[in-house]
Amino acid sequence: MNILKKLVLVLGLASMPALVAAQAPNPAPAPAAAEAKAVAAPVATAPTVAPVAEKAATDAAKPAAATDGSLPGYTPMKPTPGVGMPVDRGVDFQDQYSANGHYAKWINNVVLLPLITVIALLVLALLLWVVVRFRRAANPNPSKTTHNTVIEIVWTLIPVLILLGVAYPSLDLVAKQFKPAPKEAVTVKVTGYQWYWGYAYPDHGGFEVVSNMLKEKDEVKPGERFRTDNDGPKLLAADNRLVVPAGVPLRLQITAADVIHSFAVPAFWFKLDAVPGRLNEKALTIEKPGVYFGQCSELCGARHAYMPIVVDALPPEQFAAWVKAKGGAMPGEKAADAAAAPAAPAANDNANAAAPAAATK
Amino acid sequence: MTTIAAHPTDHHDHAHDDHKPSFFARWFMSTNHKDIGTLYLIFAIFAGVIGGLISGLMRLELAEPGIQYLTSWASMMKGSGASLDEAYHMWNVLITAHGLIMVFFMVMPAIIGGFGNWFVPLMIGAPDMAFPRMNNISFWLTAVAFIMLLGSTFVPGGTGLGAGTGWTVYAPLSTSGSVGPAVDMAIFSLHLAGAASILGAVNFITTIFNMRAPGMTLHKMPLFVWSVLVTAFLLLLSLPVLAAAITMLLVDRNFGGAFFDAAGGGDPVLYQHLFWFFGHPEVYIMILPGFGIISQIVATFSRKPVFGYLGMAYAMVAIGVVGFVVWAHHMYTTGMSVEVKMYFTAATMVIAVPTGIKIFSWIATMWGGSLSFKTPMVWALGFIFMFTVGGVTGVVLANGGVDDNLHDTYYVVAHFHYVLSLGAVFALFAGFYYWFGKMSGRMLNEFLGHLHFWVFFVGVNMLFFPMHFLGQQGMPRRYPDYPDAFAHWNEIASYGYAVLGVGVLIFFVNVFWSLAAGRKAEGNYWGEGATTLEWTLSSPPPFHQFETLPVIK
Amino acid sequence: MAGAKNHDYHILPPSINPLIGSFAALTMFFGLVMMFQPKVFGGYGSLVFGGGLIAVLYTFWTWWSDVIKEAHAGDHTPVVSLHLRYGMILFIASEVMFFVGWFWAWFDFSLFPVPLEIVRDPETHALTITNLFGQDGAAAATQFPAKGMEVFDAFSLPLLNTLILLCSGTTVTWAHHALIHGDRKGLINGLWVTVILGALFSCIQAYEYSSAPFPFGGLNYGSAFYMATGFHGFHVLVGTIFLIVCLARAYAGHFTPKQHFGFEAAAWYWHFVDVVWLFLFVVVYVWGGWGAPVHA
Ligand code: HEA
Ligand code: HEA
Ligand code: CUA
Ligand SMILES: [Cu+2]
Repeated sequence: MNILKKLVLVLGLASMPALVAAQAPNPAPAPAAAEAKAVAAPVATAPTVAPVAEKAATDAAKPAAATDGSLPGYTPMKPTPGVGMPVDRGVDFQDQYSANGHYAKWINNVVLLPLITVIALLVLALLLWVVVRFRRAANPNPSKTTHNTVIEIVWTLIPVLILLGVAYPSLDLVAKQFKPAPKEAVTVKVTGYQWYWGYAYPDHGGFEVVSNMLKEKDEVKPGERFRTDNDGPKLLAADNRLVVPAGVPLRLQITAADVIHSFAVPAFWFKLDAVPGRLNEKALTIEKPGVYFGQCSELCGARHAYMPIVVDALPPEQFAAWVKAKGGAMPGEKAADAAAAPAAPAANDNANAAAPAAATK
Repeated sequence: MTTIAAHPTDHHDHAHDDHKPSFFARWFMSTNHKDIGTLYLIFAIFAGVIGGLISGLMRLELAEPGIQYLTSWASMMKGSGASLDEAYHMWNVLITAHGLIMVFFMVMPAIIGGFGNWFVPLMIGAPDMAFPRMNNISFWLTAVAFIMLLGSTFVPGGTGLGAGTGWTVYAPLSTSGSVGPAVDMAIFSLHLAGAASILGAVNFITTIFNMRAPGMTLHKMPLFVWSVLVTAFLLLLSLPVLAAAITMLLVDRNFGGAFFDAAGGGDPVLYQHLFWFFGHPEVYIMILPGFGIISQIVATFSRKPVFGYLGMAYAMVAIGVVGFVVWAHHMYTTGMSVEVKMYFTAATMVIAVPTGIKIFSWIATMWGGSLSFKTPMVWALGFIFMFTVGGVTGVVLANGGVDDNLHDTYYVVAHFHYVLSLGAVFALFAGFYYWFGKMSGRMLNEFLGHLHFWVFFVGVNMLFFPMHFLGQQGMPRRYPDYPDAFAHWNEIASYGYAVLGVGVLIFFVNVFWSLAAGRKAEGNYWGEGATTLEWTLSSPPPFHQFETLPVIK
Repeated sequence: MAGAKNHDYHILPPSINPLIGSFAALTMFFGLVMMFQPKVFGGYGSLVFGGGLIAVLYTFWTWWSDVIKEAHAGDHTPVVSLHLRYGMILFIASEVMFFVGWFWAWFDFSLFPVPLEIVRDPETHALTITNLFGQDGAAAATQFPAKGMEVFDAFSLPLLNTLILLCSGTTVTWAHHALIHGDRKGLINGLWVTVILGALFSCIQAYEYSSAPFPFGGLNYGSAFYMATGFHGFHVLVGTIFLIVCLARAYAGHFTPKQHFGFEAAAWYWHFVDVVWLFLFVVVYVWGGWGAPVHA
């Protein structure tokens, strides 16, 4: 590896002196966005959304109140190594923490993977067999057989039957994944922005949490918050997590404010695109409290790789405490407390208003 | 399949009394299908080298976690220090260029423009294509399209220089999300390449329907010709839809259109439907001619006609037809309804059946045959196995519920490189080794050919197999950087690239060596297994062949 | 035996047209990009585009002049003229698929409407388009055409245009029959009427555009409407030019009752344009405007 890398690097260095240029700090890509508005009136021009965007843009510059993201009554859970995240040299799917996740992983690992392995090995075995048995030395005179209706029907019908067998659990899985969340499910509105996530809690006073990736210690200015092991692995950790109750049905509503993003958490077998002007909805029940990581899964521009998703699934009581700490209210207490919501950062009960006004003549 | 009883007279070298035009007229004003085919092949190899080098840069950056080189590359392009965002944008430019180049400027020109042009007329006993002049504009439009695409990398495209939209050019990232001319240029490049391919498709269909030699009925046509026929229909019917879709992008970008702009009621997912209505047939466009090539080779080196000829031909037709109604399997996570998702799951799996017919028929062709393992045959065997591996992972992805996890991960990248870089590219090399002697009059070296195969084979498998693991673990695609847990398999993959690179070098050594000093090729250098009409001609064939049409019994 | 051509196919001499045409197309498109992006490329985009366009048109001209010359030289044997027929039919098939793309957009917007609200300023007539997505009143505004929109009355000018095009379809057939029966005068008259009807259609369409009650930009209805009907209009223009060329050729004494593929191609193309219009009329004007108030 090193030889190869050095070789190319040396070549590059030799040919282009300019490439030694230092890495500049991340600027906010504001000018581009401003220009785009003039031509196509992109959805991000919503007045309701704008404060959030501004906040995020200035977020990095502002010293955080608590350097670990904790609030009174809430301390972010420490991730368990190997849970809800990829593991070093892993080959299999991540461990699953939702019912559909178990089912889907079962379909792949017990139905599909063995099936495709057998088919591929069968083809390989047949190839090796003909190579050995019918090489010119072993079979100097070729047969002239060019048809055999029976075998042709067989190798058409058997795959059909196999696929019918696969279709049954597969379609069953799809049906289960589409089962709508029950009425009492906790709703979270997830909005994708370039390049961070917003999580709004309409049932709890409507505050929105803005979630940015945490940078490494050597990438931030002194005093700014950086990633620690408590936050999770590099590139996966975020300053504010998507906090939800575990063991309770959730209703995730997903949209985007600018371009398409995709909200994905491998440990839940969950991926749903965040599309401007659409509200995609899917139910999810997280089986166990814990921290689960995901990453944006639709190309959304320069920092597509830098808008991770961190789900903090808390026992329901702790979730309620977190909601309180955020200045929100649990549904029952709504009337009393909702008015006190403004304490929440970027309070915004209209996070999904991703498609606002555009004026033309 | 056809056996030839054509005039055995026509082939002793008349090359010298062919009136070949002067150099400029011959190569820049060509109306000769073989010369145009040669131009296409040279062009495709050139584009393949560029696309391959770009993928090398990508593997270099991905070899270990962190951003290693992107900032310097972006600075290089820009001529001054690039910011981190510009560096990240550079990644998107690299993958976009790599995808577009490999698809539109390497595989398609090589397999349809190159081999199709060379061998469709020869195999059906025609003196040339139906529209020789139009044939040439297909080539030159492809060439200028490539210029346009390469040019786009030097102009602003949003966060940095170049178009960073992915080869799929999804809106609104490609509209409001990418300010600057780069994406406009990339789009026009696709317009030009698309127009070229549509004209090419018209030409091939007309040629095949209308210029078959007396006695060459449709059901006697070699399977390569069948494959090009089906491919041409796919091109003809799918590319115009892409043209409409990318024109909508232009309208949204430059005229305030609201096709994909939610503020004005537009629908970003509409673009995806239109794109994949083209995009899925496109993947069969890239593989069907490969199927055709493999059929010719397997029959030749088994010294046996193809097994189940009609089944083989109509399996391709079936793949083509069904290929038009499965497009949304690329969009399982966009939020479609449950019925739609179920339909596309079921419909997509159907394609495994005709494809299975092809795999098994190739094996049955070899069964009872008398196999010799010349280089093309080794590539064909490699193709059959590796394509199967890529195909069956496609069947996994076809399951909408399972794809929820795998979509946009490296599992998909693994899948499509198995069918493309180990499928279409293997077929290309197979065809190249099979026909090089016919085209150039010189034989490639068998030892170097085998060596190329084995090195390349090990390299690509090392490169792409670990990507299945990365995908299952959840590594998203189009990422310049990744969490440390993914480091191991990425490193192996990058080693694989180094191995594969050596393989490609061996290929070039072989080509240049044989052009300079290769053994002269006879008319039918593969012997009795090679029964199609091109083998009745000299190597290379006369400038104008079949001036008296061959008659097929 | 070699060198002597024993078949009826057309083996062409080398031609520079493809090379020129391709670079002309490149220039033209690059000029367009320059026009789109004056900030990057300065103000010469229209010159580059114009130059490219002229070169493209020049290529068409010389290319088809060559084809006509070859036809007169007897190169278009029965099998070659069959090629031309295949070519034209396949080209039209690809054009059909191009329109499928635009209809697809139209159906997407009309079958899956989004909650748009359009408010017209009574003074300036400027429209404010608001997507109510996720807001109160969204459900009530979810309709197509959007709330507050006015559309064309399908049964006034569009219906007239439908009749004009249908009529022109018959007159081109009249010209064809005249041609087949060696009646050059009838051919010329038929073509004249067809060309005039085609031009009339374009004028009416232009007039209609000029009084449209909805904008092109910023609104899905407008973008899809103008692009679908606009591309059709462009095809009408191309078809009209094609017919004018045939008319000129008819005056010049081209075409025989047996061999007149240039004319046939123009006629096929014209019918194709006609059929596309019928779909546009039904889908875009009648069905697509259903229920919306009509622009006075
Ligand atoms: C040559 C190109 C090629 C080919 C031939 C195929 C073939 C197939 N592809 Fe693939 N595909 C791509 C190129 C190709 N694909 C590309 C480029 C992408 C990604 C695009 C992007 O997003 O950038 C993609 C993505 C892609 C997806 C979307 C994944 C995602 O983004 O989430 C899906 C999902 O259904 C899919 C399915 C299939 C299937 C079912 C086949 C089938 O045709 C395979 C059939 C073959 C076999 C099954 C093997 C042989 C059969 C047998 C031995 C018989 C017995 C088998 C069984 C009974 C199973 N492909
Ligand atoms: C035909 C298509 C094709 C081919 C051959 C390849 C070949 C390779 N590809 Fe890729 N690739 C794509 C099509 C292809 N690719 C597409 C469509 C994407 C998606 C882009 C997107 O996300 O938008 C992609 C994405 C992609 C990624 C993911 C990037 C990301 O998501 O961030 C990676 C990462 O490693 C990669 C690597 C490689 C490598 C190392 C090779 C190596 O195999 C390359 C080695 C070189 C060759 C094999 C070429 C040799 C051929 C010739 C020299 C011509 C020969 C000609 C004749 C014989 C006539 N490719
Ligand atoms: Cu957001 Cu990718
Ligand atoms: Cu597909």
